[in-house]
Order: sequence, then structure tokens, then C-alpha cells
Amino acid sequence: MSFLRAYMAAGPSARVIAARFANSPSSSIIARRLLSNATPRLAAADPHKHVHSHGHPDYIQDVIDPRSPPLNIPLPTDKNPDVHDPYHGGPSALEKAVHIFFFTEIIRGMWIVLEQFFRPPYTIMYPFEKGPLSPRFRGEHALRRYPSGEERCIACKLCEAICPAQAITIESEARQDGSRRTTRYDIDMTKCIYCGFCQEACPVDAIVETQNQEFSTETREELLYNKEKLLANGDRAEAEIAANLHADHVYR
Amino acid sequence: MVSLARTIRSIRRVGVREWWHQMQYIGDAKSGRFIGKDQFGNRYFENLNPEEEIPGRDRWVDFAQHDYNATQVPPEWHAWLSHIRKDAPTEDPVVQNLSPPWKAPWVENLTGTRGSYKSYNTVKPKYTAWDPKVATRGPSV
Repeated sequence: MSFLRAYMAAGPSARVIAARFANSPSSSIIARRLLSNATPRLAAADPHKHVHSHGHPDYIQDVIDPRSPPLNIPLPTDKNPDVHDPYHGGPSALEKAVHIFFFTEIIRGMWIVLEQFFRPPYTIMYPFEKGPLSPRFRGEHALRRYPSGEERCIACKLCEAICPAQAITIESEARQDGSRRTTRYDIDMTKCIYCGFCQEACPVDAIVETQNQEFSTETREELLYNKEKLLANGDRAEAEIAANLHADHVYR
Repeated sequence: MVSLARTIRSIRRVGVREWWHQMQYIGDAKSGRFIGKDQFGNRYFENLNPEEEIPGRDRWVDFAQHDYNATQVPPEWHAWLSHIRKDAPTEDPVVQNLSPPWKAPWVENLTGTRGSYKSYNTVKPKYTAWDPKVATRGPSV
């Protein structure tokens, strides 16, 4: 077992070592199979290896075998044709000529095309069917409200600061009850790159990106969203937004 | 479009009239469980049998209007249709509990119509045009 493990621990130079032990055919086959199937990490996970002289398994003080091959092995540049025959075990010249002259690769490719012809198409019939979306999908923006109906945004301008496209413009004033609210919350949706940094930066979950991706417009002016439009988006889609946040709250 | 056996099976389930309706809209004979109907009259179906519907085609909507407008689906049903929520909003306790009383009615994307959104300024303008004040002339005495 330790004999084979030494070859397995050799890692990248495994083929060279296998060639070195290719004297008898049976041992070389065994070496090749083990080398191709088992990774060096599997070899290191050998249970016998971890039991030291004290008798308890110790995974930290394990002795790592050196991965480098010894220096006295034959290299590929050496003159040793039976060890390094690049065509050994490959297709013969006759086989290759048959594949070339009878277009077997083209026929195999056309056969795959023919198979696809008789399979049901994988076409999702939009807008009746839709592909799956994530609850974290970043679509049209919306401003949310608290369950009491009070708007969440406190005009901290973190979203405006982090926006890499500088698509958000905020102006704020104190309201009559003394709380600071935005008077202007504009998002230029033609600038927005939908990176989601604004909803990441928002401390009160006010600005979110809803799952609505069907807000295409005829004119560019319709994409210059102001606060009323964003609040209206949030009012209409609040159930979906809150359900998505609920679905993801364990990961936030 | 797809296999003849599937088409015949769907026709036998839904009937020729419904099949003709489906061919005018979704363009394919589909049959599944009726999940619900939203406030606009759109009907939602589901067929989770992998032998009959491939993944991604297992939930579909039959629109009430001949508009092919995807935004006619309200957001709760949109979440179900896009496989965001597992359950339909009629059965999903999370969506039902999180619907606030001030929830606004859903409006489809009205671009290209007179009801389309037009952007406007929500603050007082920073500067105004000069309004000249002309002093009265003449004998001030």
C-alpha cells in the first residue's frame, strides 16, 4: 500500500513515474488506473497514515510526502522510444484515414442535429410563460413605505453616494413635523446600470429594485423617474417586494 | 409543434374550444391545473408533470385581453409566474400577510398611450425668470 501511495502522492509527474515502472504490463496497468482515479488528496486521506506511534489520529502533524519526482527518472527528451511513444494506444493510420475520407465526424454531427429535430423544442412562450427569476433579481426601482404608510426614505443620500453611474439625485428638506424627507428623489433609469448598490446601501430598505423588468418605454423622458413614480411603484408592488425580502432575510 | 400525442392528450383534457383559444394565444396545446384568476380576469395554470411540460414552461397565464402585454400580470402573480414564489398568492401566507392596506391597484405599462408617465419636477425651481418691476415715472411730486 505504501508502495502505491508513493506514486499517487507524486501528483502532476504521475505519468512520468508510471512510465518508469512500465517494465511489466500488469504493474503498469495497476499504476495507471490508480493514478487516473485517485487524486493526491485522496492518497493523503489514507487512514493508516494518520495514526502515529502514540496511536491516536493526528491530522495536523501529518508528514506530507514530497510531490517532486526524483531526479533519476527518464525525461521526455530522453532517447527511449518504447517508454515515450506518443502514438501508443491511439488510432492507427488506417482508422484515421477512414474517418477522414468517409466524413464520419460530419455524419455524427448531422446525426445530433437530426436528434434535436425530433425532440420537443425548449422554447418558453413569452409573455404567457416566463423563465425563472430570483427574489434578488434587480429590475425597476421602487421606494417603499413602512406598514403604517409612512415613507421610509430619510434622505441620507447613501444611495446617491454609492451609485456608480450617478443616476440618483436627492434633495431634502425638513418636514413640518421636523423629520427630514426627500423633496426630490430622481433616478435616471437610462443611466442606471442595475447594480443593486443603492438597495445594498440603504439603511432603511427604502430604495429597492423590484422584479419588474417590463417597464420599457417609447420615449426616453418616461425613464426619468421622480419620487412620485418610485413611490407609486412601491405602493403597487409592496406585497411582492416584502415577500422577496422575507424570502432572503436569513441571508442578509 | 411538439409531439402529436401530447397535443391530442391536451385536446382531450381541455376540449376543442379551449384548445382553439390556446392556439390563438399561446400557440401550443397545454393542459394543467387551474391555479387561480386575478382581478383582471387572467387565468393561471400549472402542470408540474415533467413528462408533459419541460421546466420553465410549467406555469403559464391565459390573458384576459388580446394584448400580449406581459405587464397585465399583477406583481403577486408575476412572482408566482416567474417562479420567485413557490405558491400562488391565493395560497401563499407570506404574500397575503405582507399585503398592506394601502396597497395601490396595479396599472399596466401604459407607455405609448395618453396615460403614460411623464416626468416632472418635484421641488420648487431654483431660479425663475426675471420679472421686471417697472417704477412708475412721471411727476412724483
